[in-house]
Amino acid sequence: MSASQSPAEHELAELIVSALNLEGVAAADIDPEAPLFKTGLGLDSIDALELALEISKRYGFQLRSDDENNIRIFSSLRSLAAHIAQHRVT
Amino acid sequence: MQSLPLLSPADPARPVAYLQGRAVSLAQFCTHVQAIAQRLPPAGSMLNLCEDRYRFLAAYAAALSVGHAVLLPPSRAEEVVAEVGNAHAGSYRWQDDDVASALAGSQAPLRSQPGIDAQIPVERTVMIGCTSGSTGQPRPYPKLWGSMHASTARNAAAIRRVLGVTDETVPAIVATVPPQHMYGMELSVLLPLIGGMAVHAGRPLFPADIAQALSELPAPRVLISTPLHLRTLVVSSQPFPPTALIVSATAPLDRELAAAVEARLGGRLLEMFGSTETCVIASRLTASGDAWRAHEGVELHPRADGTLVTAPWFAEPVLLQDIVELQGDGQFIVRGRSADMIEVAGKRASLADLTQRLLAVEGVRDAVLFQPQPESVATIRRLAALVVAPGCTAREIRERLSASVDPAFLPRPLRIVDALPRNEVGKLPREQLLAMLQS
Repeated sequence: MSASQSPAEHELAELIVSALNLEGVAAADIDPEAPLFKTGLGLDSIDALELALEISKRYGFQLRSDDENNIRIFSSLRSLAAHIAQHRVT
Repeated sequence: MQSLPLLSPADPARPVAYLQGRAVSLAQFCTHVQAIAQRLPPAGSMLNLCEDRYRFLAAYAAALSVGHAVLLPPSRAEEVVAEVGNAHAGSYRWQDDDVASALAGSQAPLRSQPGIDAQIPVERTVMIGCTSGSTGQPRPYPKLWGSMHASTARNAAAIRRVLGVTDETVPAIVATVPPQHMYGMELSVLLPLIGGMAVHAGRPLFPADIAQALSELPAPRVLISTPLHLRTLVVSSQPFPPTALIVSATAPLDRELAAAVEARLGGRLLEMFGSTETCVIASRLTASGDAWRAHEGVELHPRADGTLVTAPWFAEPVLLQDIVELQGDGQFIVRGRSADMIEVAGKRASLADLTQRLLAVEGVRDAVLFQPQPESVATIRRLAALVVAPGCTAREIRERLSASVDPAFLPRPLRIVDALPRNEVGKLPREQLLAMLQS
């Protein structure tokens, strides 16, 4: 599955695994198109906050959720990586 | 029977909420409430699942105006909502879309008096808070209108005292907590209805969302939040508009974080103390001291197994698991909590109950759940678990457990081990658990 991760997606996957202390999950094994929350990796809104902080530190911009209850940018590793590529400052 | 207003003060022009940056007057709000009320079934109780705070508020007021109680499930998980619904005959669901379509059909002007003077009997059950009890069934906590009035009046007074404003001023609220949670209910739903304040319709999550919501409101601004949100807000580099008051509850806040929040937002931090059983019963300015000030009329009676709380508006005394030390003059210090109660991200649960649920998972022979880190605002305290489950993977166990446990309490890490480090009397020494977790 690692073949389908782009380098940017892989870097983000590593950030997710280390920031959220995801045991037993290898960054390379995260399916870039699978949902990160609920059904996929099983992340929740606590993780979203934690991840938002790490992303702001690493990439230098603040995440916004257009609709706080339907955090589309978090829907998959790929969509989150695309969002970061568009907004990153550092 | 004595009754008290559904809406207070009853000034038709006062703002109740802010919708897309515009104030909604009490008069407009009443037309919305009426439009919803006309579509409700003749009897029953409302499972109010609205995520938009304004829609929640309007649906809530509509249910009360026709004599229905509102059910507050502990989580939005389908299983949990269904359980709460099944436990209450005649329950019906209302969601954002239901409110939206009711409001879309309410363009025509309604009756001249849009129910601004509606009265609710003080003895009526207006909402039923539900927490997951140790039996697995959601445990209901019915609340009477009279007692909600009494505690809301005290919450409003505590906020106005710190703001230094009179009843004429309408503080504008942004809340990061859901309206279905008792704390969110008290401070983001009841304050607009009967506390003379106005609330932003959103539920911002990230620091940038919170800043945006606050910037849409006039001063004095009040942020209703939790240590979890406040911590990320302080660490972020996001600028915020001046916010006169920040309210925190659901988990203890330390003085350092309180001071950092005050420095960042330019206002005072008022921490509130309470529970689903009691609602808010005390407050403190955390940056200035550890002592809590009990709401007027609340009395605390320390006992060996916790603290018995009484108030004239309680149906009966409530025993809290917190150990307190009275300081006279209505002030007290919290010294700790019974070891079984744990808190993750503002949600409370019994460790014994969670352990039972883990033991009930197919394939699990023995298991222990514990909190590996001491209480700290610098980390989010997840639970850890050691599980004896031959032939199973940690992921399988976690997935099976997720069917019966709120995600906040799912253990991480969950480690599969050959045996638990039980000592000769069968107990599990904490040092051994920590060592095993790290090995």
